[in-house]
Amino acid sequence: MKRKGGFFSRSFVRIPLIIWSLAVLYPIVWMILGAFKSNAEIYSNPWGMPESFNFGNFVDAWTNYNIDISVFNSLIVTGLGALLTLAMAIPTSYALERMRFRGNRLLFTLYISAMMIPMVLGWIPLFFLLMQLNLLDNIFGLAIVYAVSQLPFSIFVMTSFMATIPKSLEEAASIDGMSPYGILWKIITPLSTTGIITVTIMNMIQFWNEYFMALIFLQSEENYTLALAIDYISNETQYTNAWGTLFASLVIAIVPVIILYAIFQRRIVKGMTEGAIKG
Amino acid sequence: MVQSKKQRNLFLAFCLVPTFLMFSVFTLYPLFNGLYYSFFEWSGASSLAEFVGFDNYKRLLNDEIIPLTILHDYFLVVTKVIGIMILATFFAVALTQMKIKEAPFYRIVFFFPNIMSVVVIGILWMFIYNPSLGLVNSGLEFIGLESWTRPWLGSEDWALPSLVLPSVWAGIGLFMLMLMGGISNISKSYYEAAEIDGATEWQQFWKVTLPLIWPQIKISILYIIITTLNGSFIIVQVMTKGGPNNSTHVMGSYLYEQAFVKYNFGYGATIGVMILILSLITVLIMQFFMRREKVEY
Repeated sequence: MKRKGGFFSRSFVRIPLIIWSLAVLYPIVWMILGAFKSNAEIYSNPWGMPESFNFGNFVDAWTNYNIDISVFNSLIVTGLGALLTLAMAIPTSYALERMRFRGNRLLFTLYISAMMIPMVLGWIPLFFLLMQLNLLDNIFGLAIVYAVSQLPFSIFVMTSFMATIPKSLEEAASIDGMSPYGILWKIITPLSTTGIITVTIMNMIQFWNEYFMALIFLQSEENYTLALAIDYISNETQYTNAWGTLFASLVIAIVPVIILYAIFQRRIVKGMTEGAIKG
Repeated sequence: MVQSKKQRNLFLAFCLVPTFLMFSVFTLYPLFNGLYYSFFEWSGASSLAEFVGFDNYKRLLNDEIIPLTILHDYFLVVTKVIGIMILATFFAVALTQMKIKEAPFYRIVFFFPNIMSVVVIGILWMFIYNPSLGLVNSGLEFIGLESWTRPWLGSEDWALPSLVLPSVWAGIGLFMLMLMGGISNISKSYYEAAEIDGATEWQQFWKVTLPLIWPQIKISILYIIITTLNGSFIIVQVMTKGGPNNSTHVMGSYLYEQAFVKYNFGYGATIGVMILILSLITVLIMQFFMRREKVEY
């Protein structure tokens, strides 16, 4: 009696696997190929290979549609947002994980349950708060909002990571006369590098991709992040039919994510599945 | 540890206070303030907010579009849960139990859409659904089903169902991996015992695999529900903006339209309160129904 792993049942199972792989890969590959096609070619041959690879669409997106400015804005928001998140999450995670104080559990639960609360309700007051703080339509304001929005997730991952660091190191350092600030900065932070990298990659992907908060909190074109700029080009495309330019800008948006995924595939997968298993 | 109590408290404050202050200002305060705004009629100019009591809530109950948005949200929840869970479970079992050599390849490919921006996913699928150039209509024509072709996103009947496929496409990898994690923790001896007892593969799936990965299934379903109720409006905003003729509006996209397009901030906040309450109730109800004794053999 042939059981699982038998040649026929395995071939049978492969069919849906291959179909789904094609369903995932084909649109992505096709988008990348489309970025190298002229508009005429997109209409005559939308789903095939391009006749020749020309970079005209990229040049057009970069210069005529201000993608250069949006890439710059997205980089600032992503980098600054990720740094701010760390600056806020590392000390708090350490205190929550290692120090006993009244309200420790309560504070932890408060941060974690914020992951389940729909933030849409908060976006209306946040809009006016940012306006009062002169941070509306401002990429630095957006970076702050992003950083705080990823705080619960980051604290969740960081505390579980710090729990794996042996306590004896801190105790030894403390006996040697190191201050708690020194312990946090010189012992805990370096030992948490793996966790910090995981959290940072997840946050950077999140910030780089984010669309809706940017849509609400940014208004003028020179402040657009990449996601907004692409949405803008996409809406224009209905009239200009500049599909090639649109695809080129999509490729610009997705290439950094592909690179990060290629390098940090395991960490990203681990970060996301752990982030989801919080319920 | 040799430090004075004062120093210790100072350090504790250094660790906790700045972060909590930021969290309070940019998360807690806006949420509570949103609740407060829902009792005002307000078009944005700060001096003109007018207290109207429960008027916004009365308006909510009489707004004909509100029941549609709720229905659309739950339509997406149900179809996504069914679509994602069936496919993710199938793929997870196939990749863990079938000894497929190229399994890592599928794992890497299936997960990738999970880290793509919703904007990129939305625009990609807008083109796939494009009436004249899109893959769906060209494919239908190719296999001789011209009569099935239609302007998918431009049709009042088909626009909403058309949003399900991109969401399933983008979500499946994460849940597949969560379930795979559960399956790989099941001891081989259960399957060996089941085999000795003469259980077919199908029976093994129902009697061994499924009960033992129930915790992961439960978390996945709850996670899909939460992320859909709290985030379905993003793909709606990118792909259809709630149209055609409100046929794809979900609660969040309607909130966006009322607050940030029509400047009814008070009413928008009321819709936000509704989203908050509905998603909390839904999660509580689902937790109650999926409560099931933890299976241990």
